Amino acid sequence: MQLEIRNLARLYDKKRGLAPTSFAVAKGELIAIVGHNGAGKSTLLKMLANWILPDSGDVVIDGIDLRNRAAVVRKVGFIPEDPNLFDFFSVEYNLKLFAALSRTPLQRVEQILDEFALRPFRKSKVQALSKGLKQRVNIGRALLADPPVLLLDEPTSGLDFEMTREIYRLLNSMHDAGKTILFTSHRPEEIKNLATRIMVLHEGNVIFDGAPREYFQSEIHEKLYA
Amino acid sequence: MMRNILLLSINDLAIALKNKTILLILFIPLFVFISLNLLDGTDAKVGKIKIGLIQDYAYPSEITRSVKAAGKLIEVTWIQNEAQGMRLLKEHKIDGMLTNNDKAPGNLALLVLKKESLHTIAIVQSFSALQKAAEGDRPSWISDIRSLHEGGIQRDTLPTWILMIVLLVGFIILPAQVAEEKEKKLLLALLQTPIHEVQWLIAKLVLGMVLIITAILFLHLLSNFGPVHLFDYIALIVAGSFCFSAYGIFLGFLCRSQASARTLGVMFYLPHLLPSAMADVSQKLTSVAPFLPSYQLYEPLQSILLEDGSMAHMTFDWLYLLLLGSLMCYLSWLLMKKRWLM
Repeated sequence: MQLEIRNLARLYDKKRGLAPTSFAVAKGELIAIVGHNGAGKSTLLKMLANWILPDSGDVVIDGIDLRNRAAVVRKVGFIPEDPNLFDFFSVEYNLKLFAALSRTPLQRVEQILDEFALRPFRKSKVQALSKGLKQRVNIGRALLADPPVLLLDEPTSGLDFEMTREIYRLLNSMHDAGKTILFTSHRPEEIKNLATRIMVLHEGNVIFDGAPREYFQSEIHEKLYA
Repeated sequence: MMRNILLLSINDLAIALKNKTILLILFIPLFVFISLNLLDGTDAKVGKIKIGLIQDYAYPSEITRSVKAAGKLIEVTWIQNEAQGMRLLKEHKIDGMLTNNDKAPGNLALLVLKKESLHTIAIVQSFSALQKAAEGDRPSWISDIRSLHEGGIQRDTLPTWILMIVLLVGFIILPAQVAEEKEKKLLLALLQTPIHEVQWLIAKLVLGMVLIITAILFLHLLSNFGPVHLFDYIALIVAGSFCFSAYGIFLGFLCRSQASARTLGVMFYLPHLLPSAMADVSQKLTSVAPFLPSYQLYEPLQSILLEDGSMAHMTFDWLYLLLLGSLMCYLSWLLMKKRWLM
């Protein structure tokens, strides 16, 4: 297993957060994490990305303990819902800075600019870009060091139809390239078209973990979107 | 229209409350009130001139007699030698000392902290009046005035400007920058790379120190004035900029947003600046100021820049600055590890 999670928990108060949760993820899976707001989806991803510290539990990614941050960040790329880039600098500056800090060759920046169709915007300040373009830069940055696991927190939130389709295309191509992907979503069509496995969180607990076909036939889906 | 203006004003007030800017409105008057209470009043006790006389020096009998007679106006402190007198002057325990005038043997010189101060004028006026009462129109007892701080008002104010620069970078610029990186999740983005937390901290320290040192260098170039003990001065500035940069980074970690960091910064900036800078003019503030970290920078700065002092006599000050800076670095590192308010 590429990702092993044992009793991982983080509670903000008695109801919000993530209750002790265990599951494993095989290489190449594309998992959609579904649930209402406050169900614990983002908390789970943020803990895997080392953004917040768990109250308890263990996570091992490709044999590396999550607590070994400097080593584990090479294995995981995290794309938050709101792009967190140095928006007063250019796209190129942002990519080069993070490439240098990740000790990634600068040719990789050129590859990312081509792969994500960002070359026309390389000199543009991030703050001048649309949210969709910012999200593309954000995903590109997460892929600079070519991590095998990608975590995306509501990647299409606030994007228009065109940009949403563009993100789906990117996710599919990353999945085809063998990446393991976990993403959170509220959109049924997104889950249906992309996921190979679905996990449903409710009040911090996993209430469903299975194939998309089972999920869409279950009562859980009906209740979730009733 | 009025309704909208009212709604927007209430909303602005709510924002000011939320980001704690409103605290400044309460803090500044409170701070001014406390500072004014700490400043010396104008009552008779405080208004007395404190003059130092050297025990073994043979002062003319008219002087000692007149000074004794003017007990309500002048308080005499008998001192063993000139060195002790200088120490008491620096500690603001006496306002001036009557000593031998090297340029005109047999005549008296007045040694004060600053020539251009109210204390000096008061001493000269009082002694002139006493001399006239005792001897009539004979030459003045005080034939020369020497000052511990050489170089005029421009040079006298230099330590205060330097302290302002250090505190401005430490308490206003750095906390806002750290809080901005937290607020925009930029710090978390940086921690998604294999960098170590300590590397980020050191980079911020370097930024603070470079800003401070550049500004001070620029100030010296413009004022065309340099210290006698250059190495000691550089070492003190490095220790001071390290201490207050670390302090600023720690303050930044205590805040979730830039607005909170600015408010907290001002709340630290004013108390650290005013007592140190105003201690020269107030005995009460002189007794309070040493408890502030800024005083441990300000006092050696004064000594090096105005009295040609050296680091050899300031071991406590620079050790204090280095230890406080290290403590602040450690606390910032702990908060960073805990992802405090991120």
